[in-house]
Parts: sequence; C-alpha cells; structure tokens
Amino acid sequence: MIQVQNLVKTYPNGTQALKGVSFDVKKGEFLVIIGLSGSGKSTLLRCMNRLHDSTSGKIEFENLEMTTLKGKTLRQARSRIGMIFQHFNLVPRKTVMTNVLTGTLARTGVLASIMGWYSEEDKKKALEYIKIVGLSGKENVRADNLSGGQQQRVAIARALMQNPKVLLADEPVASLDPATSHSVMQYLKKVNEELGVTVICNLHFLSLVRQYASRVIALKGGKMIYEGKPLDINEEWFQTIYGEDAVEVTIN
Amino acid sequence: MSTENTLPAKPAPSLGNMKKVVSAIAIDTFFWSYALLVSHKILYEKVIMNVRYPEFSWNQPLSALGIGFAVSLLLFFTSVSLGRAFQGLYEFDENESKLNKPFALWGYFIIFITFIAGLHMSQVSMREFLSDSGLEGARRIFTALFNPNWNILEDALFAAIETIYMAFIATAFAIPVAFVMGFFAARNLMSSNRIMFSLYSLTRFVLNMSRSIEPLVWAIIFSVWVGIGPFSGMLALCLHSVASLAKLYSEQIESIGEGPIEAMTATGAHPIQVIWYGVVPQIVLPYLSYTIYRWDINVRMATVIGLVGGGGIGTMLMQYQGLAKWNEVGMLVIVIAAIVWFMDWASSKIREAIK
Repeated sequence: MIQVQNLVKTYPNGTQALKGVSFDVKKGEFLVIIGLSGSGKSTLLRCMNRLHDSTSGKIEFENLEMTTLKGKTLRQARSRIGMIFQHFNLVPRKTVMTNVLTGTLARTGVLASIMGWYSEEDKKKALEYIKIVGLSGKENVRADNLSGGQQQRVAIARALMQNPKVLLADEPVASLDPATSHSVMQYLKKVNEELGVTVICNLHFLSLVRQYASRVIALKGGKMIYEGKPLDINEEWFQTIYGEDAVEVTIN
Repeated sequence: MSTENTLPAKPAPSLGNMKKVVSAIAIDTFFWSYALLVSHKILYEKVIMNVRYPEFSWNQPLSALGIGFAVSLLLFFTSVSLGRAFQGLYEFDENESKLNKPFALWGYFIIFITFIAGLHMSQVSMREFLSDSGLEGARRIFTALFNPNWNILEDALFAAIETIYMAFIATAFAIPVAFVMGFFAARNLMSSNRIMFSLYSLTRFVLNMSRSIEPLVWAIIFSVWVGIGPFSGMLALCLHSVASLAKLYSEQIESIGEGPIEAMTATGAHPIQVIWYGVVPQIVLPYLSYTIYRWDINVRMATVIGLVGGGGIGTMLMQYQGLAKWNEVGMLVIVIAAIVWFMDWASSKIREAIK
C-alpha cells in the first residue's frame, strides 16, 4: 500500500540523511526499521507523512503521490496516517479526552475545534479508544500528569481517532522502561492485528524486533542494507548493521 | 607593554578574511582617535592646563581620526591591535589567559581615560555635595517630606485610583494587539517561506521602533494630540505595552517545544488548529504571568508619565513640586510608594498562584 522509491533527503546544512531508499509496505504488516541513531530512521518516517520534505524520490500512498501534495489534499492524506513519537508529544495542560479528540482535527472545522465542538460520534469513539488502550476512567485527567507509558497509550488513542490506514511509530518505547515498553508494544500489536492498521515502527532493541515485527528493514548511513524476516538477523548481520564492536542488549 | 610577549601573527591576510581585516583596522582607528581626542581635550586641556573655555574646531577630531588611522595601520602588524583581537585574527593557545596580552593592556588604558573623562563630564564634585547651603536645602526638603500634609490624602487617593485604572486599561487594550503580533514576531512560526519571513521582519522592525521611543516621549506626543489627562497617559502606556508584551510573547513562542506542533501537523490539522492546540496551551500561563507583570510595571510607569501630563497621581505630584509645596509632595510620595508596594506584592502573589 506504500511504495517508497529512491528517497533522498538532504538537510539544508548539507547532512545527507537518506541516500536513495526504496521499499514497499504491504497492507496489514508490522514493519520495523532498525539502525543506529543517525542512520535516517526518523527522517524516513517524517518524510512519509511530509513532516519533512524529501529532496527527491517518490512516496506512493494509496495511489497518491505524497511528495507533490499541497494544502487540503496533503492534510487529508496525513489524516489517514497516524503517528506516535518517542516523547509522546501530547498537548500539555489538556485532558486525556481533549488530547484524544485532537486526532479528529482534520475532519473538524477550524472554528469548531477552537470552540471545542466535537461531534457526539467522535466523542463516543474517543471514549471507546481510551478504553481500548486501557485508560478508562482517566478521561478527565490532565495528560501531563500520567506516567510515560500511559501518555504513549493516549498518543496511540489519538492516532487511532484519525481512522488511520497506517501508523508510523518513531521509537515509541525509547523513553520507557522495559516493562512499560512491552505493554506499549503489545498495544501496537493489538492495533495491528485487531484493527488491521499497518504499522511502521522504528526500534532500537532487537529482542523487541524479533517479538513483534513481521518484517524488518535496516538502515545504515542513510542506505537500506537489510530487508527480511526478523529471525533471520544473525550475528553477522547484527554486526554489519550496528558495527563490529556492538554487543546485543536484550530487554525482557 | 611588553614586546617579548608578541603573539604569533597569522599568515598574510588572504582575500577571504579581507572583510575582517578592514573591520579590524576600522575598530583600531576608532579607538586610537578616541584616545587621542580624549587625552587632548579632557586630560590635557581641562584637567592639566585647567582651561576654562577650551577652543573647539572640527580640525581637532578630524586630525585625531587621521593620526589614529595612521597609527592603527602601523600597529595592525603588532600584538596591540584591539581590532584584530575582536575580529579573531590572533591565534591563541586555548589555555592561555587573554587578559594580560598587550592589546588587553591597551584596552584597560582606554577604559581608564574614559573613567577620568566621565568624572569630569558629570561634574562630580565633593565640594558641592557637602556644601553648607546644599546640606541646608536637603535638610529642609527632607523635613517637609517626613511631615506630609494629610489633608490632601483624599485627593491623592482619588488620583492614585485614576492611575491604577489607567494602567489597567492600557494593559487590557495592549493584550489583543500584542497577542496577534506575538505570533508574527516569532521566528520559529514565521520562517517557513519568504513572505512569512518578510512579515516577521516587518513586525520586528515596528516593535523595535515603538519600543525604542520612551513612553515618556509618547505621553508628550499624545498630550498634545488628545490633551493633557489620563487618556494621553493611557495611550502612551498602551503603545509601549504592545511593543514590550509582543516581544515577550514572541520570545515565549520561540522557546516552546516542537513536539506538540509536530504531532498536530501529523494529524492533518489546519495551520490555525496547529497553533491553537500545538502552541497556545504551551504559552497561556507565561502569557498571563507576563501580562500581570506588565500591569504592575504600567502602574509604576503611570506615575512617572503623569509628570509630563499623563494624568493621575503623577500630574498631581508635578503640580505640587512646581509650587515647592514639599509637605504635599511628601504625602504623594507616601501614597505612590504604597501603591507600588501593593501592586508589586499583588502581582507576585497572583503570578505565583497561577504557576
């Protein structure tokens, strides 16, 4: 459902973050992108929903060429791609409910969203998703008073409000402890399997990759150097991806 | 100045750092001419020769400039060039202190002569400060100030209330304008394309211009425009508040976290929605805090602005001071001190409470 072709991203300061990356994403898969910090993982995800503009190359999403979209059509396309972040990026000082409802901004009018007039249907759906991520009863708690894992689950609920076809997850567990990491990953898996949302996720820990990914690609220095099944990553591949001296750290 | 302590000169200046060399020589020329002129006009003529009315002709600064330029051209190749130091044209050992280099000594000398000239210019005089008639005058005014005339308390309080309300309205009118301008003056929101950026530069320019004119001057302008009274003072304060609040607001916007903005953009939100949900929740509290602080400042400023006809307690103070009625002035000073203290206390309490 997504075809990335020869994607290049050069930042204004001259850094080449992506040097021609091509891959396909199939509907319903749980694709994990691995690689060292600075290998271009985050840039790749941000190019896919145009938070960053790529320098050249193509990104086709549901027969739309993402790289040339503008204005309303771009916002409509973005709304079908959910995204969650390493630092959760919730709206501070707002309740869980308000945060989840911001997932509907693309289909709510500007004035209505400023006045807080969301449709009853959306409110019902928000409650439902809050329940799905296990936060029932916390609707009116301020989001910044929640723990890290809970905040990330709010972010997942917010992304689900967009009715996304794809969910981009940029190192969703990198600032969480191991136990919470697993719980958040399990929610992502649930979203993937039960709601049929395609997930593209950046991860650091290979143990998590083996457990959750259906397919893996690895980036190194802005190039794709590996594509395959998670269990096929052996010692040799590991050292190619992470460098000669790397030792695998596991989290359980 | 020790000459053994020469610094390793950089290789012959290339075209690449020609600009730096030119600025370095310009800086040197300025300092040398300044030093020459000050030593001649003040140290020599005034302090040493004690000439009462020294002659001035434009030849003096011009020749100082000429000599200064020649000297700096010569000394550019030694280690006493301040210009080279400012432009980073000397090579330093990272661990070495720069404060005892030859050019630094030259810098101390310039500060020294400026200090001497400053003492002379400000006519600092211990004799005046401790003269009998002077001390007698001071005693008279302080006695009167400490014996305030309580009969005018009522009038003073009414004037004070006028001042507080005037400051409040000035702040209230400034808020919406500053709020909108704050967004236009925030670099991180406005650097997306060229049109936005030129709007940003224009807003910054207007704000800087109106802020660089003191509210006192605005009050004089408005008192001619709308007449003497609280209205002109309010307008002056309002204009100044817009400029300074917009600057504070925009700085607050520039320092917010990018995360929520990114997240809102990713949901497919309209730019206005991105600002409403990604920016506004992060700035509401600091904004409130700044605004209350601004009101506090405005009350204090309103008393000063009253001096030039901006109404309120300041105008009253000016009138009694003009009549040399020091007991009444003493009363007003107490009332002003009380308001300032109260506003200061109230605004800090409120700002603490909303944190």
